[in-house]
Amino acid sequence: MNSFIKANPIRCIGCRTCLISCVVAHEGKRIFEIDPDAYNFNPRLFMVKTARVSAPVHCRHCENPACKASCTSGAIYVRDNVVLVDTKKCIGCKNCVIACPFGAVEIVETAEVQHDGSPRKIANKCDLCAGVADSPSCVKVCPTQALALVTEDDLSESVADKRRSAAVAALV
Amino acid sequence: MAKKVSVKEIQTTCCYCGTGCQLLFTVDQDANKILDVHPVWGRTNEGTACLKGWYGWDYLNDPQILTKRLKEPMIRKNGKGSPLEVVSWDEAIKFVADNFKKIKEKWGPDSFLGAASARGPGNEAGYITQKFTRAVMGTNNIDHCARICHAASVAGSRQTIGEGAMSLSIPEIENAEVIFNIGYNAAASHPIVARRIVKAKEKGAFIICADPRITETARISDLHLQLKGGSNVALVNSLANVIISEDLIDHEFVKLHTKGFDEFWEIVKEYTPEYAATITGLSPEDIRFTARKYASSKHSVILWGMGITQFSQGVETVKCCCSLAMLTGNFGRPSCGTGPVRGQNNVQGTCDMGDLPDVYPGYQNVTDPEIQAKFEKAWGVKLSNKAGIQLTRVPEFVIHEKDPAKRIHAYYITGEDPAQSDPDLEEIRETLDQVDFVVVQDIFWNKTAEHADAVLPATAWGEHDGCYTSSDRGFQRVRKVLEPQGNVLPDWEITCRIATAMGYPMHYNNTEEIWNEMIDLCPKFTGATYEKMERQGSVQWPCWDKGHEDTGTMFLHKDGHFATPDGIGILKTSPYHPPTEVENTEFPLSLCTVREVGHYSVRTMTGNCRMLRNLEDEPGWVEMSLEDCDKLGLREGEIVKVFSKRGSVYTRCKPTERVKQGAVYMTYQWWIGACNELTISSLDPASRTPEYKYCAARVEKIKDQAWAKEEVARIYEDLRSRMHIVKEEVLA
Ligand code: SF4
Ligand code: SF4
Repeated sequence: MNSFIKANPIRCIGCRTCLISCVVAHEGKRIFEIDPDAYNFNPRLFMVKTARVSAPVHCRHCENPACKASCTSGAIYVRDNVVLVDTKKCIGCKNCVIACPFGAVEIVETAEVQHDGSPRKIANKCDLCAGVADSPSCVKVCPTQALALVTEDDLSESVADKRRSAAVAALV
Repeated sequence: MAKKVSVKEIQTTCCYCGTGCQLLFTVDQDANKILDVHPVWGRTNEGTACLKGWYGWDYLNDPQILTKRLKEPMIRKNGKGSPLEVVSWDEAIKFVADNFKKIKEKWGPDSFLGAASARGPGNEAGYITQKFTRAVMGTNNIDHCARICHAASVAGSRQTIGEGAMSLSIPEIENAEVIFNIGYNAAASHPIVARRIVKAKEKGAFIICADPRITETARISDLHLQLKGGSNVALVNSLANVIISEDLIDHEFVKLHTKGFDEFWEIVKEYTPEYAATITGLSPEDIRFTARKYASSKHSVILWGMGITQFSQGVETVKCCCSLAMLTGNFGRPSCGTGPVRGQNNVQGTCDMGDLPDVYPGYQNVTDPEIQAKFEKAWGVKLSNKAGIQLTRVPEFVIHEKDPAKRIHAYYITGEDPAQSDPDLEEIRETLDQVDFVVVQDIFWNKTAEHADAVLPATAWGEHDGCYTSSDRGFQRVRKVLEPQGNVLPDWEITCRIATAMGYPMHYNNTEEIWNEMIDLCPKFTGATYEKMERQGSVQWPCWDKGHEDTGTMFLHKDGHFATPDGIGILKTSPYHPPTEVENTEFPLSLCTVREVGHYSVRTMTGNCRMLRNLEDEPGWVEMSLEDCDKLGLREGEIVKVFSKRGSVYTRCKPTERVKQGAVYMTYQWWIGACNELTISSLDPASRTPEYKYCAARVEKIKDQAWAKEEVARIYEDLRSRMHIVKEEVLA
């Protein structure tokens, strides 16, 4: 099963430390040395604030990813339980943006310049920090522990717990 | 061959808010470069930090985003209007000392006012600033930015329970059973305190939040009292009314430990929930429920912030909050009491150090002859026994004072930016221009420095040693992480040099020497040695004895013994009166100033941190209700112009379900969207804290958005160049 990050809106205080950590993880420490306008500040999770809810929205790393199915260039793939975008292959067609039911994908400008001088734009989404950090950075920095990485083991454990209490409840 | 690097780990206290989180720096000392920063375990933070702690150290790299670091002393050799010229430290010190001396001789000691810094410089510098003001200048005209935030908490608490600090400590919040937040949004001001509220909730605490806006704190609360802005006194009085009339009081506590009940009841008896409902807009049921809930536990905590203190009735509200805790016996045990949570990292410490016009370090009254004699003996000079004036009254003692003999003629500002932070900026600028001699001692160019006759560059947090006091009375060490760049000196050393040049030698070899002089003069702090701070990490005052056994004080007023002269608490409150300036036809909206979680104070520091700047930048936002946005045809992100009687600024519109129709909110940290161009300078008569939280305003749509965007960009560039950022110098 694919892993994903779950936000707990009861704990989230909307501070967005997680958003910055995402950029730092993906851009690398050099961003503390360069002009802050020299790269694009594109967190891969999105802060949502309504009257009653504050929580970041991440990619769910679906088992049958709608983004992957809709991708025209075969740029979206699953590896080690993570749904990833091959940035080389992506042509920025936006199908994935439309297909994703959570709004977890967006098209962003990269630093790469195309033949016509315009910046190359590609799909950007949560990759669970695969290849950039040992564990998801947002989970690590959140001051209220509002974010948790949910793996197959975690999920089966919690499901087992729930079944146990359901069975016990049926007895009474 | 691989280069040998001298990598060192250094622990220090975060420089941003009163939570006092502990951060660990990894530094390449040869390259004088920060390699990594992350939070580590501390008494208040338990290994966590907010975005400012994680990413707010970047200004030490001087990235020149908003302003440039001050690196050389500068003076206006040929008087006002002449350019600031770079000079040697000797020349700058002589220039400042001569001018201070001249003014003191001509106009007397009270023509001087010193503003201490509640930010980076630390407690030792704070002690030196007030010592300079009192011993060298001979006046008690010393104050700091607590005046514009929590002075009402200090005044209101001292008048009722005798001590103007949090009675409980931050970790205790977690074990409270009822948490009543009033005018306090920990999520934006102290995320790591908010973490404790979240934890308390998970442990089963009932969370109440009184705030006109749906803040993050209101959102995670079990009950949100969305009261009308400026009606706090009516609400707290009515809570007291219910507690008394439904006999929910702790009779034994009230009898043994308080006085003034009859006078108190005389005032609150009028504030029935029905009557208070007409003022606050809340339902009488919610008021009754809140009072009952609050009184139902012996572990009820009241937390408050600027949302009650920045009103002209700030002191009144604080007094009544303290009285609510007394009525219900909620003092003197763990996880109860009152929590005025201090905003800036060292605003508690700067109060502790006596950077206030009425008290010496350790809250010892300047009017007490015995105390005066003690300090006269220690400092070897005669001292004034007349309480000084508050910094918010500077305009009154400059532009509004006809008699030159009574005016302020010299203003020594360390680590503050009144031309950004004080209300009614137009008036402040006029004031600064009319003061004969203004000295700005800071780390960055700021708006106030533009009006200065001398600019003295200081070391920043991370470039010097010292200690800060966390909001819950905890002394914690700050340590030098990097070698400072440029011709800068620690704040305390600059002030000592000025004192010495004025004929009062002040010499210390390090901050510990200053600290040792201070603790021996302040019984409450005597036991808090550097060694103890080192060993314990944090020492909460009172800490009376230097011995190992006295580890400090977790909560105040043990067993109901208050810090008043006779140990008895005094129940106090006042009748409600409305804010000074209310909505009218020309200005139909109420404007309240709030804060942005990722930015701090006047933003010279966080505005120069790449990550924090990229998360939120100029020209800031005005939060408006969906209805008001509809009426004006405004969309998210559109640039608008906000007006009050006093001025106008550009900012961006943020439509939100979280605010009520008719009320708008602006963050005070922006320079373009500088809402203090709009705020009113009316002051609380007791604490002299300005009424930032309420004035009348109007928002106007701008048709030509393309033009507006260019205009804002132009203003930004203009600001940056005024702050001496030269384009080519900016890192490529
Ligand atoms: S860091 Fe945590 S509390 Fe802050 S916005 Fe992200 S999830 Fe919410
Ligand atoms: S700003 Fe306050 S809450 Fe955030 S890391 Fe610093 S001390 Fe902690």
